[in-house]
Amino acid sequence: MKLLAKTNRIYLAFSLVIYLLTALAFYQIIRLLIYDEVESRLRVERRDFETYVRIHNTWSSSPYFVENKIEVVPVSKRQSVSESFTDTLILNRYDNELTPFRQLTFYEPIHGVMHRVSIRKSLIQTYRLIEVITATMVVFLGLLLLGMFWFQRRLSGQLWYPFYDTLSRIKQFDLSHNSPLDLSPTNITEFNELNDVLQKMAAKMQQDYRSLKEFTENASHEIQTPLALINAKVEQLIQTESLSETQTHWIETIYQASRRISRLTQGLLLLAKIENRQFSDSQQIDLANLLTQKLADMDDVLSFRHLSIQIGPTAPFDVHLPTALADSLVTNLVNNAIKHNQPEGRIELTSTAAQLCLRNTGGPLVTDPERLFERFKKESASSDSVGLGLAIVRQICDSYGLQIAYQAAGGIHEFCITRA
Amino acid sequence: MKVLVIEDEQGLAESITEYMVKDGYICETVTTFREAEEKIHLYTYDCIIVDLTLPDGNGFQLIEMLKRLMATTGVIIISARNTLEDKLKGLDIGSDDYLTKPFHLSELNARVKSLMRRRQFGGYTEIRFQELVVVPQTRNVFANGQLTMLSRKEYDLLLYFLSNVDVALTKASIAEHLWGDNIDSADSFDMVYSHIKNLRRKLLDKGAADYIQSIYGIGYKFSQP
Repeated sequence: MKLLAKTNRIYLAFSLVIYLLTALAFYQIIRLLIYDEVESRLRVERRDFETYVRIHNTWSSSPYFVENKIEVVPVSKRQSVSESFTDTLILNRYDNELTPFRQLTFYEPIHGVMHRVSIRKSLIQTYRLIEVITATMVVFLGLLLLGMFWFQRRLSGQLWYPFYDTLSRIKQFDLSHNSPLDLSPTNITEFNELNDVLQKMAAKMQQDYRSLKEFTENASHEIQTPLALINAKVEQLIQTESLSETQTHWIETIYQASRRISRLTQGLLLLAKIENRQFSDSQQIDLANLLTQKLADMDDVLSFRHLSIQIGPTAPFDVHLPTALADSLVTNLVNNAIKHNQPEGRIELTSTAAQLCLRNTGGPLVTDPERLFERFKKESASSDSVGLGLAIVRQICDSYGLQIAYQAAGGIHEFCITRA
Repeated sequence: MKVLVIEDEQGLAESITEYMVKDGYICETVTTFREAEEKIHLYTYDCIIVDLTLPDGNGFQLIEMLKRLMATTGVIIISARNTLEDKLKGLDIGSDDYLTKPFHLSELNARVKSLMRRRQFGGYTEIRFQELVVVPQTRNVFANGQLTMLSRKEYDLLLYFLSNVDVALTKASIAEHLWGDNIDSADSFDMVYSHIKNLRRKLLDKGAADYIQSIYGIGYKFSQP
């Protein structure tokens, strides 16, 4: 739920409750006031009645009281209460309608006979008054409520505008671009503080991103250039005719070691670049198709190792990856499947729209399967391997919303990629 | 043929130059952007080999400058930067090839030769070595005038040898030439061996001499027996 919708909803609910309570209280107060007024008038009339009875010592339907206004009934014994107010409905003789009355009942001896006297006052005017007041109140309070609600919406929309502006700018913010996060200043302190903090964080992130990017580029240059030098010198050295067997052996060792360092740095820098998200040109790529192609490209190695390929059933497994990384992913998977295979072994590729599996035959795993994807976990002691292939596969999957799982059963090793 | 090597690492520049000079090229070396700028304004070259990261400038700018001055000069980039963007940008502004450091001198040499063949004769050129004739246009190989059927890899292998005659080639450089960087299985050396065995047999079958010598512990050399 949106922040403004939420506050509006709470505000509306709260106002409604307050509004209803106010209306109820108001109604009660007015009613009380009116009853108080009617009752005090009834008391005055009671005094008039008593004075009349005392002076005249009799009671006749005096013209003083109009119809229904007074009822004098002789009773055998007086009730314990001296006077009581009640509400009553009496049929109006003109329009045959029940009309509300407030009635004061008291006992008065006339000629020594106890009479119950009920004086009444019509409440019809009073009720109308309450109705009018209530209606007015409903209308005005309703208008007030609507007005406040509208005002509140407008106001919070305007107040929160810088916040939404900031939000949309952060969403559009791209680390890899050089432009800093630009947030416009507002006249609200909290938002200014928020923008300040965000701008500082973004600047720091951009700086970190840039320095790591520069580092990977520089490290690559600074390490590969001396290695290129070693390679070149070794190549020149082996042109010498008079090398002894021992010397050739040393040279070969130097050469292989430098090649390994080169691969190692390339692998590590690739991992750093993936982690730093330096690859930006993500595209939709069908990994199943790419793997099939890669397996076809490797036909030399496959036929040399007498490995057979089984493809299918396959369905396109589309992922969003930078091209370079997709290539690195499938190359490392295929290399892994070939390297740890057995002679006359098999490589199987199956895929559905939701998952892609590459299986290869091979001896049981020596290392802990849990640690298979860690850096420098080498399954074979082959000096050619630097142990980064599966770590790269894992890092690519982790960084681009994919999941890779390893499973082994009955001499078949299975790597499955699914969407995380 | 004149080649300009622009590389700030002195030792590497020397190695490239020596290697090229031995192969009959006229080679000049510069180590800075400014020197390179001066050279390409003053002289014409058939090919330049340029490093992208120079102490006082960027190789890309040099290439753009060169292409404005002399568009027919071949350009080969040698760089430690191996991102796809750099490679694409290089090709975009008119370079012909991109080699990632560390590379094999023999590979660089083969690329320069292939580039020169494409540039100078539009590819319509034969490569001759004694009784062997290779026609790159049709990928045909003749030994003593007889057409010799070679597989794709055997053909690539022969061409690589012919680009580096009399040079000791390491097994690793041959493997990388044939299968690229990605081949990292220990099998590659054995595969090189089996391809060389087949190539040698096919050439011998057509009556050619045995030009491929193996050098213990290192690799192979293609030369007069």
